Amino acid sequence: MRSRVIQPAVIKLPAWRRRVLLIVVMAGFAALLGRSIYLQSMHKGFLQKEGDARYSRSMKLPAHRGMITDRFGEPLAISTPVESIWASPPDVQATPRQISKIATLLKMKPAELNKKLANNTREFVYIKRRIPPELAKQVMQVGVPGVFMQREYRRYYPAGEVMAHLVGFTGIDENGQEGFELRYQDWLSGKSGSRRVIKDRQGHIVEDLEAVKVPQDGHDLVLSIDRKIQYLAYRELAKAVDQFKAKAGAAIVLDARTGEVLAMANLPTYNPNNPVNMAGRSRNRAIVDTFEPGSTLKPFTAAAALESGHFTPDTHIQTAPGILRIGPATIHDAHPQGMLTVAQVIQKSSNVGSAKMALTLEPQYLWGIYNHMGFGTPTHIGFPGEASGRLRNYKGWRPIEQATMSFGHGISLTLLQLARAYTVFANDGELKPVSLLKLKETPVGQQVFSAKTALAVRDMLELVVQPGGTAPRAQISGYRVAGKTGTAHKLGPGGYLADKYVSSFVGLAPASNPRLIIAVMVDEPSSGQYYGGTVAAPVFSAIMAGALRMLAVPQDAPNDNIVIPPEDAPEIKEVV
Amino acid sequence: MMITLGSRERFNSATYDQGLVWVTLILLGIGLVMVYSASIALAEADKATGHQSTYFLIRQAIFIVISLGAGLMAFQVPTAMWQKMAPYLFLTGIALLVLVLIPGVGRNVNGSQRWLSLFIINLQPSEFMKLFAAIYVADYTIRKSAVMDSFTKGFLPMVFVMLLVGWLLLREPDFGAFAVIAAISISILWLGGINGRIFAGLLTLLPIAIVGLIWSSPYRLQRVIGFMDPWADPFGKGYQLSHALIAFGRGEWFGVGLGASVEKLLYLPEAHTDFLLAVIAEELGFVGVMVVIALFAWLILRAFGIAKEAIGNERYFSALLAQGIGVWIGVQGIINMGVNMGLLPTKGLTLPLLSFGGSGILANCIALAVLLRIDWENRRLQKGLPA
Repeated sequence: MRSRVIQPAVIKLPAWRRRVLLIVVMAGFAALLGRSIYLQSMHKGFLQKEGDARYSRSMKLPAHRGMITDRFGEPLAISTPVESIWASPPDVQATPRQISKIATLLKMKPAELNKKLANNTREFVYIKRRIPPELAKQVMQVGVPGVFMQREYRRYYPAGEVMAHLVGFTGIDENGQEGFELRYQDWLSGKSGSRRVIKDRQGHIVEDLEAVKVPQDGHDLVLSIDRKIQYLAYRELAKAVDQFKAKAGAAIVLDARTGEVLAMANLPTYNPNNPVNMAGRSRNRAIVDTFEPGSTLKPFTAAAALESGHFTPDTHIQTAPGILRIGPATIHDAHPQGMLTVAQVIQKSSNVGSAKMALTLEPQYLWGIYNHMGFGTPTHIGFPGEASGRLRNYKGWRPIEQATMSFGHGISLTLLQLARAYTVFANDGELKPVSLLKLKETPVGQQVFSAKTALAVRDMLELVVQPGGTAPRAQISGYRVAGKTGTAHKLGPGGYLADKYVSSFVGLAPASNPRLIIAVMVDEPSSGQYYGGTVAAPVFSAIMAGALRMLAVPQDAPNDNIVIPPEDAPEIKEVV
Repeated sequence: MMITLGSRERFNSATYDQGLVWVTLILLGIGLVMVYSASIALAEADKATGHQSTYFLIRQAIFIVISLGAGLMAFQVPTAMWQKMAPYLFLTGIALLVLVLIPGVGRNVNGSQRWLSLFIINLQPSEFMKLFAAIYVADYTIRKSAVMDSFTKGFLPMVFVMLLVGWLLLREPDFGAFAVIAAISISILWLGGINGRIFAGLLTLLPIAIVGLIWSSPYRLQRVIGFMDPWADPFGKGYQLSHALIAFGRGEWFGVGLGASVEKLLYLPEAHTDFLLAVIAEELGFVGVMVVIALFAWLILRAFGIAKEAIGNERYFSALLAQGIGVWIGVQGIINMGVNMGLLPTKGLTLPLLSFGGSGILANCIALAVLLRIDWENRRLQKGLPA
């Protein structure tokens, strides 16, 4: 302790130097305090924003998309859970063995996976979307940090191509792309919730930043469709399209009393579960495409004539010699007839008779009838892309136009408009609105014709399917049928095409108390047959017979009511 | 009567500086709590720690207990003994710095060869070198006080010694430790009466030397660039600093609450060591930062106060050593906190008494025990007792 340490004689420890040093050090502390205040109060907005950008995440809580069902609740579109695998590349730490294992599970090339994980500038990269939950679990069990899975939903369409046009489909993010999936997007999708959270660097949620917004699940959508009738309509239509080598076809089954669409089939079609090669296949032709209906329009001309008071069903009209000249133009009948009653004009589908009736009526009056039938205005059925058809204003009508319009030329309609128009014959002159959604009660329609006129025309339509009419093949065992054939040349760029037809048939049954209206349209049959009575009528009768039985509709005729004539007389339209 | 006093009464008769002890214990306590808070996520995520959340807490607690024990022992050593041992301690320090550079003996962590493996603990010689340098330079200044004005006799020998130490430290590399040792040395020389013109020249040349050192090493240059504008490349060079600054911004005045830091959740690297202050700032806010700064400032003021009393007692070595220790704790604290706040480029210096690390805490506690001893001897001399 006492060991002597040399203390030199002269020691200079100036007090001012100590003070200067102390001031320098204290100034350092003061600078730190100032900087701390700056960072923690003035600069905090910017810093917190940067922080949020790094670890606060807004998570979408997907709402469950509602089902689309048929009228009995059978699913037509349902969402099933799937998982998507994603990664935050900067956080991924994986051995080559783990990479190859994940790649094998996901059926990817390891190089492809490595490429996705090499994207270090992004913090969210999908590796594979929409895989079965079981497979996703296996991928997660490989245990690579920075790889995550995310619950998503995949839309599944049990009815597949049978219902494709009506139901439509959704895109990868469950947004409706076509059909009802598109039209009722908001109703079906609900509102996805959200959650703002802070995540640690490994992606675990640490805390909620704000109240969780709970997702509101979407609503179910109940269509008016009867799945069984839909399958039937699709099958029969497909058979005919195939048999007559047609380009396309459409069929509609309406509940005659409520206007609900029980079936709507279209060809060609596609698989909504895997919507690829869609070109020309996704059109719901029954609603979005128009065509010149041809003779299926004649019953409305006849009804207009009866309603005018100038005609009764038994009024005679001279159709000989099967040719009618109006100015420079000529109207032909396929089979020249002589003196015909109004009923026979419909039965035999005489163009000349129809034209003569039409020409006795004021253009404004005839236009008014057609307009009330809904021709030229959309049905507002609520389907995206609905066409309105074309009914020209009566002010510009020339006599030849008025004449041809009476048998369905120079006017265009959708098949749905045509089918709806026939509700007047099933409801004593009342035109029913149509619906693709199931209705709770029968809607009130618009009275267009008197009940007497409607019944009279319905009787005429019954003659069409009997021997001497144009469509004996539309008959059904056990039920009385009323209907009308149509065969029209298609319009091309330079006028009517000589060898391209649209064959159609619209009918209702049972004729004594109509329950169903079925409209069938076959576009460009190319097997040689093209008359509505040959091509479309059999499709009608097959669908109608099956549907009436499915609905257990009481018979109004004996089972052996079908009378096939030895030689039928199909109708034909000529170029105007 | 004094002669008849037993050794126990003699010890009690000169009281020790209770405030200094309390401030030290408070800083160690804050450090222990914050090291635990900052290291939980890291410890749980790391395979090397066996995923034990208390891994760093337990070790830091053991370090503190050992260091307090070592401090108690160091307190028993008279200041005169330190002065006598000064050259030997310094040579030991140099030997350890050489040893750590030998491949296989020194342990390399993250590209820096700073640790000696001694059975279960790793020793960081540079931490002890700071204490040895303070003792050595204080002794040197006293010995050469007569020639302190001379450039060749007073200043140049010290320059050579410092260049040697600096060269060894930069080989590791440990630029931060060299900066602290240089600051201690220059401060003691300044206090010891170095020629004003020499000092002015030194202050001019030093920045040039530092800039040269920075330019000579891509690794240091990168740190400086990251420091200048951390938001220019926040996911690369500026990553660590940008996250430290975010922690300050999130803390605001009163902090997000103890344990609630997000930055410590593996975003901010070295949260429990070099960037512990950022976690304090986030969890305890400006108030927490202010308390830490105030405690350090109090410590430095006390060290200089003790030095002043020592001068009054004509104990010049003690005075210089006390101030050297004060400058060490102060400068290292300022640099570490300045780095955390983006005022200085990233250095790799811990926050004295708070950051996780055995060697640092041990060296700090021994140094503060020496300071306490100097004060204790002052008090005894004022009461007319032998030192």
